[in-house]
Amino acid sequence: MGKTAYKKLLGSQSFRQRLLLATLSSTPILIEDIRADETWPGLRNHEISLLRLFETVCDDCHVEINETGTKLKYKPGTIIGGRQHRAHDCGVSRSIGYFLEPLIVLCLFAKQPLTIRLKGITNDSKDPSVDTFKSTALPLLKRFGVPSEGLELKVESRGLPPNGGGEVLLSVPVVQSLTAVSWIDEGFVKKIRGITFSTRVSVQFENSMIKATRGIINPLVSDVHIFSDHRSGPQAGNSPGYGISLVAETTSGCFISADTAVSHSRDEDASSLADDAKRDLMPPEDVGVGTANALLGEIAQSGVVDSTHQGLLFLLCALCPQDVSKVRVGKLSPHGVETLRNIRDFLNLKFIIKPEPNSQSVFLKCIGYGMKNLSRKVS
Amino acid sequence: MAVNDTDQSNRPHRDRQSGAKSAKKKSKKKQKQDAGGEDHKNQNPKAFAFSSSNKAKRLQSRAVEKEQRRLHAPIIDRSYGEPAPYVVVVQGPPQVGKSLLIKSLVKHYTKHNLPDVRGPITIVSGKQRRVQFVECPNDINGMIDAAKFADLALLLIDGSYGFEMETFEFLNILQVHGFPKVMGVLTHLDKFKDVKKLRKTKQRLKHRFWTEIYDGAKLFYLSGLIHGKYVKREVHNLARFISVMKFHPLSWRTTHPYVLADRFEDITPPEKVHANNKCDRKVTLYGYLRGCNLKKGNKVHIAGVGDYSLTGITVLPDPCPLPSAAKKKGLRDKEKLFYAPMSGLGDLLYDKDAVYININDHLVQFSNVDNENSAMTSKGKDRDVGEVLVKSLQNTKYSINEKLENSFISLFSEKPKVSSEALADAHGTNNDVEQNDAVIIGEDNNTKDLDGSESSDQDEEGTMKDSEASGSDEEDSPNSNALSGDHIQEHIEFHDGRRRRRAIFGNDNDQSDLMDSEGDEDGAASDDLASSDSESSEDEEDHNDNDDTNEDGMGNVSKWKESLAERTLSRKTPSLMQIVYGESTIDSITTDTENGNSGDEESDDDFFKPIEEVKKQNIRDGLNDDGVVNTEDCSKCTQFVHQRWDEEMIRNRFVSGNLAKAALRNALQTANTEEENDDVYGDFEDLETGEKHENYQTDDALAATKLKEDVSEAEERRLKKIALHAKFTVTTIYCYLNFLFTFDGDSGSAEEDSGKENGHKVHRGQPNESTYFDKLKEEIELQKQRNIAELNDLDEDTRLEIEGFRTGTYLRLEVNDVPCEMVEYFDPYHPILIGGVGIGEDNVGYMQTRLKRHRWHKKVLKTRDPIIVSVGWRRYQTTPVYAIEDSNGRHRMLKYTPEHMHCLAMFWGPLAPPNTGVVAVQNLSNNQATFRITATAVVLEFNHAARIVKKIKLVGYPCKIFKKTALIKDMFTSDLEVARFEGAAIRTVSGIRGQVKKVAKVEIGNQAQRKGGQIKEGIARCTFEDKILMSDIVFLRAWTQVEVPQFYNPLTTALQPRERTWKGMRTVAELRRENNLPVPVNKDSLYKKIERKPRKFNPLVIPKSLQASLPFASKPKDIPKRKKPLLEERRGRGVVMEPRERKVHALVQHLQLINSEKMKKRKLKEDKKRKELEAERAKDEQLSRKRRREERRVKYRAQDKQNKKIRRTEV
Repeated sequence: MGKTAYKKLLGSQSFRQRLLLATLSSTPILIEDIRADETWPGLRNHEISLLRLFETVCDDCHVEINETGTKLKYKPGTIIGGRQHRAHDCGVSRSIGYFLEPLIVLCLFAKQPLTIRLKGITNDSKDPSVDTFKSTALPLLKRFGVPSEGLELKVESRGLPPNGGGEVLLSVPVVQSLTAVSWIDEGFVKKIRGITFSTRVSVQFENSMIKATRGIINPLVSDVHIFSDHRSGPQAGNSPGYGISLVAETTSGCFISADTAVSHSRDEDASSLADDAKRDLMPPEDVGVGTANALLGEIAQSGVVDSTHQGLLFLLCALCPQDVSKVRVGKLSPHGVETLRNIRDFLNLKFIIKPEPNSQSVFLKCIGYGMKNLSRKVS
Repeated sequence: MAVNDTDQSNRPHRDRQSGAKSAKKKSKKKQKQDAGGEDHKNQNPKAFAFSSSNKAKRLQSRAVEKEQRRLHAPIIDRSYGEPAPYVVVVQGPPQVGKSLLIKSLVKHYTKHNLPDVRGPITIVSGKQRRVQFVECPNDINGMIDAAKFADLALLLIDGSYGFEMETFEFLNILQVHGFPKVMGVLTHLDKFKDVKKLRKTKQRLKHRFWTEIYDGAKLFYLSGLIHGKYVKREVHNLARFISVMKFHPLSWRTTHPYVLADRFEDITPPEKVHANNKCDRKVTLYGYLRGCNLKKGNKVHIAGVGDYSLTGITVLPDPCPLPSAAKKKGLRDKEKLFYAPMSGLGDLLYDKDAVYININDHLVQFSNVDNENSAMTSKGKDRDVGEVLVKSLQNTKYSINEKLENSFISLFSEKPKVSSEALADAHGTNNDVEQNDAVIIGEDNNTKDLDGSESSDQDEEGTMKDSEASGSDEEDSPNSNALSGDHIQEHIEFHDGRRRRRAIFGNDNDQSDLMDSEGDEDGAASDDLASSDSESSEDEEDHNDNDDTNEDGMGNVSKWKESLAERTLSRKTPSLMQIVYGESTIDSITTDTENGNSGDEESDDDFFKPIEEVKKQNIRDGLNDDGVVNTEDCSKCTQFVHQRWDEEMIRNRFVSGNLAKAALRNALQTANTEEENDDVYGDFEDLETGEKHENYQTDDALAATKLKEDVSEAEERRLKKIALHAKFTVTTIYCYLNFLFTFDGDSGSAEEDSGKENGHKVHRGQPNESTYFDKLKEEIELQKQRNIAELNDLDEDTRLEIEGFRTGTYLRLEVNDVPCEMVEYFDPYHPILIGGVGIGEDNVGYMQTRLKRHRWHKKVLKTRDPIIVSVGWRRYQTTPVYAIEDSNGRHRMLKYTPEHMHCLAMFWGPLAPPNTGVVAVQNLSNNQATFRITATAVVLEFNHAARIVKKIKLVGYPCKIFKKTALIKDMFTSDLEVARFEGAAIRTVSGIRGQVKKVAKVEIGNQAQRKGGQIKEGIARCTFEDKILMSDIVFLRAWTQVEVPQFYNPLTTALQPRERTWKGMRTVAELRRENNLPVPVNKDSLYKKIERKPRKFNPLVIPKSLQASLPFASKPKDIPKRKKPLLEERRGRGVVMEPRERKVHALVQHLQLINSEKMKKRKLKEDKKRKELEAERAKDEQLSRKRRREERRVKYRAQDKQNKKIRRTEV
């Protein structure tokens, strides 16, 4: 064969989706100017780790990074999946949620069902926590026709920044193709579930978080259950912290989530801050109240998913067979917009976006890309 | 014709039509009819009931199974527009009457005589149906391509000759590529003199045909020719069959767009061709889009040429519309019923920007001679408007350029007239600039053209552009039809020896001009005609020229149009979409081949520039600045909110809240009512917050939710209804599903009565509820209706953007950089297939297929011998490696394909999705007598690495043996190799198992080194389960990876003369044959007589020291040799008896004989006696047993009596 035609991209933005979409559409990409002007140029640890993760689940993919890490050449291979016996270390610069988002979509189109153990940070404030993933993203996948057997995320131990030490076991089934959805009824919130956790701190933190959360939510809906998950010993990871993840389930089967985690900040972030900031964590009452309010905010936006999962929703819509999918979201999040653009760039697919001024929600329509699992073997 | 005795036809037997005999026969027949079938059953239903429950069960399960087997997984049909014409491929061996059949069919449909069948011929065959006839070329490449686009294949068979290989080859190709409908047609049946023979032959051929397809496949008989055409009635019947044929979707074709080109033009700029005749060409291909929707940016594969990306796709108006869709445009319907530009049939030729009218020479009545007596005719009757217009066009003297300069346009009736030039000067608008451009191009043409005689021709060209440019305002508006202009201009050219007139529609201004100048200009047109007549061959090129220049001119215009269109598009789309898909990100992404140099240059430039400037430039260029480019990749953006949420605001989002308002909001959205309502309601609520109102609200809430539900339900119901309706239409199509739907409880369609009995028969005891299959079907139908509903909401541009071009539209595809050979060797007899390349199908890799050699192919296939495969749209040559899967999942290489079994074939090539059919051929030449299809296969999966292994046996010899350890030499060549095989299992010939341990230490094993020679590498220390011998041979059995050659060679059959056979890689055998090389023989592989020397064992020698320590008994004794030989030794010579001794010996023998005889007799006697005794004893025994039984009976009776007595007393 002759030269490979690479798709040229710039910068480190939406790195995960670019890799994901490049792999799914088997387009080789060339990313240039990755943080070229920053003090620490080039790819970050988590991005390298993500590349490694892609290499483990794919066969024959080709990654080339220049010396400074500002240029990346990626040629995708076939997605293999399968049972990975060696745990993947996600590092401590980003949490596992960062890795889960692309991985879960990628491995739907793998040759064999994926089972992988991921090590790193399970909960942090930047990325959706593994609890949120379990409660929101997995039902979202099911909506698109992913079989529920084999779709599992198990939190073996928790790890928080800065030192991590968490471990999750992820298994993703393979699908032949997704099914298009028409999902515009967000319904009414009928129940709220939640989970709090604490590692290397007192259980009392959880209790006060629950109390504060209930204080906000209970007047609105009575069916509220917030479970607590106190971890100790090796299951609690390497650093102290606590957090909460809330999910609102609506009458039409939508899951809307909000979560947060509080812990000592990472070294790189904290270098500028004073010591006392490192010592004091946000009080649990504030955490509870803040998360509850964030959840209410998400609910108020009246989309079928929360703003965090917009990207995932759009991706799944785009990867459907060539049928019309129609979804409704609240305000378009920056990540969602970014996703839409990436979908256009890689899959040559545009969404029809129609704002609905009454409910301040946005209707999106698209015809799927017709993605099919080509690597799966027929017997 | 000579009268032949054998050929003599006897008078046939004629049945009696009347009389007693016939009456008898009739009654018999009637009886038979009555007896058979359902009547008989009705008379005695019990006789047909199940007598055994087991049998009933079995029959029922069989029926259910049969029914299940009949079901197909429902496929969603995503073609929403009106379907493209169905392709009817007429195939058969040469000289069987293919062209004649097409001609007859065309004649039947259109009443036109087709001189020559070239390329696809589109015909309107009914109100709702069009068909496209294609003649299948006679070579295997053409057959493969034809099989890929055929919706119906008419297999023509020479009845007088029988089946030929082509038919079966084509059938096999069809089967692999998704088996479209097939109908056989027997021709040449008039060659039979004997009716009986004819009938027999028909029967035979029919049955053979059935075994190949299915029992009951339609085979049509065309009895003979009348006036060189098939019999009208039969053609009519055949046409009826074609027009009622149902076509089911084929999975490959429903997922890939494809176009069967019915027109092909080369639009390379002529100067480029002049400069270099071999330059890459730019071509346009026209055809109906089939399969699925084609998106912009989709890559295509042109069969026999290669992969290309489409540079332009344009929708053209349907050249052969259905009668319902056709607008009346002045041409009679009869003439519009067909379209075949390659065959010179059809009246209108549409291009992106113009329409050509074809008028056959004999139909053209307009001439200047006619003009002279026009006055007379005009008196007689009113002349046709079009006729007048066309005539006026013939008589143009001045070019439009000149006319425009001289002409005046009255913008406003009162204002003084403004000349076009003045206008252009006055307004520097875009429009005018464009117009000028067009004018300039037109002038360019003039200057370029060297031939003086045709300048007027060219002038017209220019004028036309002018007129178009000026009239473009109207064209831009989406509603205005390009053809709606009421003034027609004509441009006559000779193309392929026929006259072709180009019609351009201008506006009134021009018309008035032209009308003015009508009278003076006669000469120009006639001049035109004369020149073009004389130089038809040159005109061919000129025509191209015109096309090109026109293309250029229009290129500008169309670009300009595009921008306008974009602007309108952007105006139409909602602003949010613009925000999301703004221009900001478009420029940052460019597909480019990786080029190190340019990248370096760029970076150098950047390096020497201040960073601010670069950023600024980036912003100017529309690039993102760095801040955006390197934003953090994070999906979470929720802000931590500390302010308390206003409960009232959010309350309605919960089930506990006010459902009414929330529901209303949704309801409003769905029902599309005004906003006001909501506002009013909101105010209302704000004002009143009382107890009473709560009640009201809840009521309202219920109502509102109900309303909402109603709306949604109504929507759902509507869709379902449509779906159900559609389903019924589907049922009529797929009659094999009839009974399923008719048995649904709610079905009230017309077919009920007909289907019910049927249903009863099949569904005995099946509940009325809908099955899983029905549900699936319904779901799919629902999805389809939803798709249609959603897509119909959109305006055309957006729909095109998100959906792509719909199937059934007539497209003009523009392809750049096509090799010139494609144009040079273009042959209308070979249809061009353009297939869309799916996701990831342009990548190359290893494909694993399940392959079976065709049972009619004579030889087995050899690994790595090149074969030509047809996968998807592609045909290419590749070198497969055959393998078979062992029970442990290992893929073991096979040197040859198995005789009658499937095997795996791994080959390198452009990937095709799993489940795609593959057909393999080895020989493309036409003069081959045998069957050309070598194998058929199906793609199982594709990989980036081929994992095929073959067995390898490493042989070594012990060089030193310790107890159970031995050093093995010659097995490995280096120490590294030994390290690779550490722990591998080995075995000696005698069956002692062992293991490779490590590399042997140098000092132990290497005797060579001790002697001062080279150190020998690759000696391994191995352990065995027992001590091995030095004479043992040690084996290591391993598996080694087999390379599959990364070779594939696309078949470029369209880039060479069609009659030439394509030459690719040759097999080793072919090369040897050509170069007269013998097959190399490995001497070691030959079988030889095995000579085994008798093994000599050395005597056992016990060492002296050991002897000394042995006990005496075990010690070898030192026995002195005897003087006198032993008795045995002496006896060895044999004994000879003396005469006396002999006598004694004989006597003893006699005695012994007598004795033995006596004993024998005695034994016999004893036996006899014993037997008698035994018989007597048995008799006695029987007697005594009888007696005993009697006694026992008496005893028991007494006992019983006693017992009874006792019981009675107890009671």
